[in-house]
Amino acid sequence: MCDQTFLVNVFGSCDKCFKQRALRPVFKKSQQLSYCSTCAEIMATDGLHESETLAALRSEAESLKGRLEEERAKLHDVELRQVAERVEALGQFVMKTRRTLKGHGNKVLCMDWCRDKRRIVSSSQDGKVIVWDSFTTNKEHAVTMPCTWVMACAYAPSGCAIACGGLDNKCSVYPLTFDKNENMAAKKKSVAMHTNYLSACSFTNSDMQILTASGDGTCALWDVESGQLLQSFHGHGADVLCLDLAPSETGNTFVSGGCDKKAMVWDMRSGQCVQAFETHESDINSVRYYPSGDAFASGSDDATCRLYDLRADREVAIYSKESIIFGASSVDFSLSGRLLFAGYNDYTINVWDVLKGTRVSILFGHENRVSTLRVSPDGTAFCSGSWDHTLRVWA
Amino acid sequence: MMSSTSDIGQARRAVEQLRMEAGIERVKVSKAATDLLQFCTEQAKSDPFLVGIPAATNPFKEKKPCTIL
Repeated sequence: MCDQTFLVNVFGSCDKCFKQRALRPVFKKSQQLSYCSTCAEIMATDGLHESETLAALRSEAESLKGRLEEERAKLHDVELRQVAERVEALGQFVMKTRRTLKGHGNKVLCMDWCRDKRRIVSSSQDGKVIVWDSFTTNKEHAVTMPCTWVMACAYAPSGCAIACGGLDNKCSVYPLTFDKNENMAAKKKSVAMHTNYLSACSFTNSDMQILTASGDGTCALWDVESGQLLQSFHGHGADVLCLDLAPSETGNTFVSGGCDKKAMVWDMRSGQCVQAFETHESDINSVRYYPSGDAFASGSDDATCRLYDLRADREVAIYSKESIIFGASSVDFSLSGRLLFAGYNDYTINVWDVLKGTRVSILFGHENRVSTLRVSPDGTAFCSGSWDHTLRVWA
Repeated sequence: MMSSTSDIGQARRAVEQLRMEAGIERVKVSKAATDLLQFCTEQAKSDPFLVGIPAATNPFKEKKPCTIL
């Protein structure tokens, strides 16, 4: 690749081998040296070696990917739905909207349940974050964020605080107070700082740490009190749109999904990606662990939801129908993991039999995209939020 | 010759990551699926959506609303 046609007009001591030879100028790290022709050739092939290494690494990466697929395929001895044939089919379900929460002035983007199984926090495009009592539909708290598109919100495990963020690139924590004289916004604490929008956030098992996902392609773990970054997770090739923490019994991992069509499982302590899955054909909008922690489901713009088993290290089920052509924005499991509730951009909610792979119910009611969906902590109901400005509690 | 140290660094990291992923222990789908099934079956009796909580005890179903005394 190097065409060195320099005139040899110097004779002297080679800078490399020190022998008396006809010398030619050679550039190493922008420094000019004088090498004899032998040493110059050796240097040229060293350069070749460097590019050979890059090509070798790339081809090793390709062959490793192939080997990964082979290893996964070897264990693919049966389909989940075949194993599920021996399980009883589910009966008919009657699920209806039992509460409608009205009050947001624009699209509802995110919601989360409090551990008390009754309170709900929701956030909207208009910058408002509202805490509701879902039994009575009363609004208990409301705060206006300094930014619009509050894409993420979460309830703290203690029920005493909420976290939220969006286009402000931050995740802020607001302590909840019932003192009418206190202004909620005054006690706001900025915890996370990303270089692009905040797409998801979740407290870990305590009020002390928050996990965030961002349009900047990374996830991060923060200490709430000090705002310090405890760990960052790099690996997604594009915006990260969602995350979910493993159920506490299974250990310190979480799963994230992104616009790079990948779902990645991370070790929270080391910051390393331990497993990655790339079978979706478009952005992954939502990921949720199966209640046992051994699997997780994902919902994507490719109009499918999929189930990935972590111990088999592969996709084990696809939930799709030819008639479903709009993206799935949000997924969650019922308490036993038998049902998967998925909200779609065609305004519907589909309920899937996780084991058999069939749809058991389709729920109508929202008048625009369903953007967020969570099952209550005791599994008695689930709540959906929509671009139609409302939230609905179904049971 | 363009400086390719960052490309090499990236390629090396990708290879290390793939080596690690290729090397993890895996379980057959039949075993994994059976375990998922077992979990579901065991938990089914405590899943309100499967078992169906009577209107009286489900706070969201309106027949007999909860009153806090």
